[in-house]
Amino acid sequence: MNLMQEVKNSRARESYWEVQHASGLRIFLYPKKDSHSTYAIFGTNYGSVDNTFRLAGEDAYTTVPNGIAHYLEHKLFENEDGTDSLLQFAKTGASANAYTTFDKTCYLFSCADHVYESLEILLDFVQKPYFTEQTVQKEQGIIGQEIRMYDDDPGWQVLFHLLQAMYQEHPVRIDIPGTVESIAQITPKLLYQCYQTFYNLHNMALCVVGNFEPQRVLDVCDRLLKPAPDQKIERFFKPEPAGVQSHFVTAKASVVTPLFYYGFKEDARHPLTDEEEARTEILLEALCGASSPLYGSLLSQGLINEASFDCESFAGPGYASVLFSGESKDPKAVADAISRAIADVRQNGIAPEAFARAKKVVYGRMLSGFNSVSSLANALVSAYFAGRSLFGTLEAIAGATPEAVCARLETELLPDRAVLSVIEPANQAGGKA
Amino acid sequence: MVSVEHHTLCDGVQLQSIRDTKFKTFRISVHFLMPLAKETAAANALVPFLLTRATRRYPDFTLLSRKMDDLYGAGLGGDVGKIGDCQVLTVTASALANDYALAGEDLVKEMTDVLCEALFDPVLEDGLFREEDLRQEQRQTLEQIDADFADKRVWALQRCMETMCADEPFGVGRFGSREAVAALTREAVTDAWRTMCRTARVEIFVLGDCDPRGVFESLKAAFANVERSYVPFAAAPAAAAPKTVRRAGDTETVVQGKLVLGMRSPIYGSDPRVPAMRLMAGIFGGTPNGKLFLNVRERMSLCYYCSANYLPPKGFLFVQSGVEFSNMERAESAILDQLAAVQRGNFTEEDVATAKLSLCNSLLTAEDSLSVLDNWYLSQTFGERGLSPTEYAARVNAVGREEILEAANTVQLDTVYRLTGKKEGSL
Repeated sequence: MNLMQEVKNSRARESYWEVQHASGLRIFLYPKKDSHSTYAIFGTNYGSVDNTFRLAGEDAYTTVPNGIAHYLEHKLFENEDGTDSLLQFAKTGASANAYTTFDKTCYLFSCADHVYESLEILLDFVQKPYFTEQTVQKEQGIIGQEIRMYDDDPGWQVLFHLLQAMYQEHPVRIDIPGTVESIAQITPKLLYQCYQTFYNLHNMALCVVGNFEPQRVLDVCDRLLKPAPDQKIERFFKPEPAGVQSHFVTAKASVVTPLFYYGFKEDARHPLTDEEEARTEILLEALCGASSPLYGSLLSQGLINEASFDCESFAGPGYASVLFSGESKDPKAVADAISRAIADVRQNGIAPEAFARAKKVVYGRMLSGFNSVSSLANALVSAYFAGRSLFGTLEAIAGATPEAVCARLETELLPDRAVLSVIEPANQAGGKA
Repeated sequence: MVSVEHHTLCDGVQLQSIRDTKFKTFRISVHFLMPLAKETAAANALVPFLLTRATRRYPDFTLLSRKMDDLYGAGLGGDVGKIGDCQVLTVTASALANDYALAGEDLVKEMTDVLCEALFDPVLEDGLFREEDLRQEQRQTLEQIDADFADKRVWALQRCMETMCADEPFGVGRFGSREAVAALTREAVTDAWRTMCRTARVEIFVLGDCDPRGVFESLKAAFANVERSYVPFAAAPAAAAPKTVRRAGDTETVVQGKLVLGMRSPIYGSDPRVPAMRLMAGIFGGTPNGKLFLNVRERMSLCYYCSANYLPPKGFLFVQSGVEFSNMERAESAILDQLAAVQRGNFTEEDVATAKLSLCNSLLTAEDSLSVLDNWYLSQTFGERGLSPTEYAARVNAVGREEILEAANTVQLDTVYRLTGKKEGSL
């Protein structure tokens, strides 16, 4: 028996259906009748950080090689008859893809037609693992090349250097695809074990946004979803110290302007609520948005550029931080200016007009996201796995007060938890462009 | 039903509007098309950024940003690109639709006013852009050029284009050269702005949830104050591939190599064979079902990515791939083998159907994004003006196998570019 409930929001004039499917799967159905396209995600609450786990009732935890969630994502496309599921979408014209992050693995397609046929392919292949010694080994070459591609991506390297300096135990410090050495330890048996644990429908979600009929999607689900036992997954993370391992890390790469990440580690014992998420967004906008004094001053001193400067809240199971990033000729000067601006807000609060402006920006940004079927689908799945909700965040933005926003500083942006990671140019020669 | 409305504001200035209330935002983009040339590219490139940095009413970056943030984080942005032999200088205004403004603000009117001021009423001193504004935008442009160098996938493609089109306008980068940007003066960029207003072909798009009438009237009035002397310019004639393939390469501190193959076809612009050529590129390597992905990546494991990209305004086809240094030779011949296979007609009806489904899928999904639609209609001004992605998809579906085969046989290899490491595996 499927339980179906409509979720509405009058502010955005939007609504969707949330379904608890009889198989155990949570389904979000978001019809948009004027849309030309439909976007579907079938995802599992399983990412690169979930490397030590057991099922409730089991005695021992299992620790698996780093990079296995991403490896599994690659291998799941391969079928027993040797065909590749990605190619099955050729029949429907859908554009299909998959991605693995720190905390989730998602399989998706976007299509303008043949929604139900594409959905059948998606539900079918994700529920049909097939791994052998031979096929597992074959993938090592391609993933090894993917890892080497990341080795040449300074934007990726500067982030991981920061995470390695910030976290001492938590697996968020480990590269999502793992290393050439770690993936060499992956076996079919381990892949099946991870699959049986995390690709249980109770640990997954399906989200469809766009031009479709909800009942027809549910018909496909009723037919193809295989009921799963309601098992509880226990993830283990070694206790993570509150402090950081090192406040400054640097490396060299083939760049002209140095790249930096400046991050502040936070207590992450509890996942962020809708309210905390919304308040952090507003705080960061007021602190370093385009109209803030900090941004204007960094720009006029030539310390940042508009194309690259960014700031985000970065959180998942057992980790949380705020990250500032960009290109700068003098990353240390940027970090110092950010730290002074944080101290100023901590002491003097946010000016009323700056608060009103920041709230409007965050509200406008979130509403603009409703234009896009892909943004909506990804946001719904992320919010669900993180224990939050799409409209909950929107309402929390609208309801935020200056006091509540400033109160985030009690646990966030603490000066002794800061790490600066810098990639310096490998040589003085500069670009040839 | 959503339809395209077309107006002429004045000589060489066209406005197309598509009102669609399914969007929660609107977007007004003004594209100035200038001939791409080594001498003018750098000065032109800075103009959109200077115009969106400050206006006479909001005379510095922070004041203008505050105004935008007060309008729910509205955007006033500059951009520069190239399409065919044109340098495209763009100023875009975008914001939430009026319906979603919490205090009933008229965001369309506010943004239209700011846009007109940005285009024609910048902050000047002694009739020139201010020194400080120029230095800031010059610095940021130089850093953007450097960022393109940091992204080796982008940089390798740029180097291939430069080599292939060394004697053609298209060989000029969208920002001009690093040296030319570094040498810019207040006089040069101010002059570039005035020339742009007077002589550029201008394409304006008003998209999303907004009533275009007020926008049209305001822009028309704003352009009426400009003394236009528009002279349509012709694209450079298409060059043929050289008798001997051009080869170029660089060594950098990288652990993975990049291989880029530049090819030419005489099918470009408004040529009715363009849809067939797009399908040929799809079969060759535009999708996961393309021959490049299936053979060079999957079957031979020669690279992590390998794909073909066709540029309809020029008739160029670029194959980009990430390759281990030791596999460069093998990858190059494997890619050329796949091209030869398509040219021999070694593809099935199913391959054709797949390429059509995939291309039509990307065309139809374009209808759901304002920025993608903006790009689409702009590029269509080089083909058949005003044709919607949905209408174009019908053309694609009418293409037959023979036309694809014919298109494939017009493709000729021009340039091979390789980026390799200074010393394998070391940084």
